[in-house]
Amino acid sequence: MAKTAHPSRRTFLQTALGALAAERAVPGLADAAGRPYAPPASEARLVALPQYLRPDPFGGIVRADRSAVPAAGSFEKNKTISLECARGSYASFHLVVQTAVPDDYKLDLHLGDRAGKIQIDLFREWFHPLRSGEYYPDALVPASLPYRSQIPDPDNKITGQTAQAFWVDIWVPPHAIPGEYSGRAMLQSGGKSRTLALKLRVHPAVVPAEDAVAMDHNSYDDSWIAAQFPSRVRSASGNFFESDELFRLIHSYHRIFYEHHGVFHQLGYGHAGRVTPEFAPALEGEGSRKRIADWNLYDRHYGPLLDGSAFAQTRRGPKPIPFAYLPINPEWPASWLWWGEPGYQAEFVNVVGEMERHSREKGWTGTRFEMFFNHKKRYMGFSWDGDEVRFPKDLSYFKEYGRLLKKALPADTPVRFVFRADVSWDMEQQFRELNGIVNMWTCAGSILSWYKGAPKMLRERGDIVWYYGGPPEVTQPSSAIAELALRAWVWDAMGFIHWLAVSPGKDPWFKFTGGGTTLVYSGERFRLADPIPSVRLKIQRNAVQELTLLDSYKSRHGLERLKAEATRRFNRSTPDEWWNPRPALADKPPYEWTNSEMEAAGEPTRKLFASLDAAAWSRVREYVMQLAPETT
Amino acid sequence: MTDNRRLSPEQVQQELDHIARVATAMIDGDACRRIVTPRALEFMFKIDPHDRFLAGDNYDVNDAEFNAVKKTLIRLSRLAPFACDVNLWMPIPGHPDKIQVVIRNAHELSQFWVFGTIAQDPVPPMKTVLETGQRVAVKQTPGMISVLAPVYDSLGGVAGLVEVVTHSSSPAHEEEM
Repeated sequence: MAKTAHPSRRTFLQTALGALAAERAVPGLADAAGRPYAPPASEARLVALPQYLRPDPFGGIVRADRSAVPAAGSFEKNKTISLECARGSYASFHLVVQTAVPDDYKLDLHLGDRAGKIQIDLFREWFHPLRSGEYYPDALVPASLPYRSQIPDPDNKITGQTAQAFWVDIWVPPHAIPGEYSGRAMLQSGGKSRTLALKLRVHPAVVPAEDAVAMDHNSYDDSWIAAQFPSRVRSASGNFFESDELFRLIHSYHRIFYEHHGVFHQLGYGHAGRVTPEFAPALEGEGSRKRIADWNLYDRHYGPLLDGSAFAQTRRGPKPIPFAYLPINPEWPASWLWWGEPGYQAEFVNVVGEMERHSREKGWTGTRFEMFFNHKKRYMGFSWDGDEVRFPKDLSYFKEYGRLLKKALPADTPVRFVFRADVSWDMEQQFRELNGIVNMWTCAGSILSWYKGAPKMLRERGDIVWYYGGPPEVTQPSSAIAELALRAWVWDAMGFIHWLAVSPGKDPWFKFTGGGTTLVYSGERFRLADPIPSVRLKIQRNAVQELTLLDSYKSRHGLERLKAEATRRFNRSTPDEWWNPRPALADKPPYEWTNSEMEAAGEPTRKLFASLDAAAWSRVREYVMQLAPETT
Repeated sequence: MTDNRRLSPEQVQQELDHIARVATAMIDGDACRRIVTPRALEFMFKIDPHDRFLAGDNYDVNDAEFNAVKKTLIRLSRLAPFACDVNLWMPIPGHPDKIQVVIRNAHELSQFWVFGTIAQDPVPPMKTVLETGQRVAVKQTPGMISVLAPVYDSLGGVAGLVEVVTHSSSPAHEEEM
């Protein structure tokens, strides 16, 4: 998988120009020149903002979201915040505490719910300094109510800070009672109190439990966990990589993504075939005597994920993970030494057959086990590309592995094995040549955009189809992450993969690199034993739940009509415009394509999304909320 | 398989040296030269400001030669009573100041390979092997030991070298993408 491109200069200019216009329209958040202003001396202020307007630490809105300020006009009126959501979903917003001078404050939040079903989660927003000197909020530190602290925040250490932001999640479970709820947010500072009234309308509609699109978060190996939680490593007795603490943390990462309507993948092998021990059963023997010797680490790692018990305490409830990489690679379970010889088939079929039996006996039938080849020739382990094939001769290896997998599995197995391929240059040919062999496709979004109708064609033949890219950096408009989910749905793809979603960089707290490879952070800095979420992950979650609700109306309104209205509201486009024409270069062999040609082929959609504004998803959400009073 | 921590460092080095000596005898330097395709070599040093992955995206090998040599390297690694890799390093035609790893193996051990690079600068011990044909033991990376040995072609010239490598202390977890 490869990462998507960063926003163009055009995006930046259009966003900045829009921002200047917007700031003139809405006094109170910042002045016309982009300078935030503080409350009058000795006063404190409590401000509520919709989720798509990310605050900065000086009382303004971050540059990327400023052009959407006018859209927030009705969010807080007469000191009242008005929210609405369906059941089985979250309503979220930012609360911002502002003080003119350094001061202590106490923040509290309450919502009246006699049934006691609706829950409020509060998170302190961490302002990450960028090399540009700007601050963007992203990491969310769980906070309990009432919350007491001071501005400037002693932990975040921002000179001149006058505003502290909080992310508020209101969880409305599927069995909550529809209707109107009210509450308030209260700030005490400088001996005075400020209050905002809170009104929440809960619609009768319930967001379906199955997400309309799978938002996947990829990672490699697990050594990064040790790097991000050094004190947990120190506290574990013996080898951390065989400890219960490691597996607790792995399960915790799965939980945070699951709770945010996402999927988590960890690839357990390297480009030359080195398998990390806790990602595979231990093997012994050779040739026809090769077998599984020990399931201990594998079962401790995967057992609770595959039977769903790792998710027992979550709001979404226990459920097996939907997908998991197998450790299969050209060097596991069969040694490449025997490739092309009977020994390769013997080793492969013996071990994969044992894995099938083990999974069947354990009842692990809710997960799709992926045979997936991630290696590339350029890493010198093998003579063919498993990931992103560019040279058509490499497809012969896929055909052989397809044969071996079939050979290893009983025809009537209830255990779900899939053959996954991550495809880019050569995808059009692979869709044809590997029909019936590969049945899970993860496609480079830029190239898939040339092949309108391909996802639908693949789905109709029973295949799974996702596309991939990377998390948008924090400096992109807040709606950029929602676009990824919406695009999957508009394209008839079944999911999107963030190629790397757990790598925040060496020092995300004080030397932030933009977050283009992470959507979660280690909680260790805050003495937490688990990962913590981000603003972008929350926005993505909310988009997925709303998209899922929207999709549930397709039988009543028709899928194409829903798509047309969603894209119109999102960026005044039509679903057709989310595709690029198939370029002439697609008729040349993929190894002759150049980057410049490929970039040119993506120009129409790049233009379309260059001026994306932060409020884009909120307009789709409004549409979903208009439908929400209907039952599906 | 023996845990090499049970062996003295001298014993480990002896084992690696023995494998390296056999490797020199067994590996066909002419076949090694045919592994990387002429097209891949052509792109290896091309620079395109719009495409920083040009060399990697165009990297290709001849299957038959790659697999034949790789299988020999795997067999050689199995001579050790502990986990060990035998990697193949080749000079790059037309670029005497560069070298590339052409084949890596299943334990993914190397003291010299930089993740993601195709052509890199040879370390001094590699130059010694290529220039003199001597075997050289290297302990450059903490916790690892390698023996470098020449690979000869049919004219008696040094075509490349092998890196026979193992951990000299307990292995750490490594991360790749």
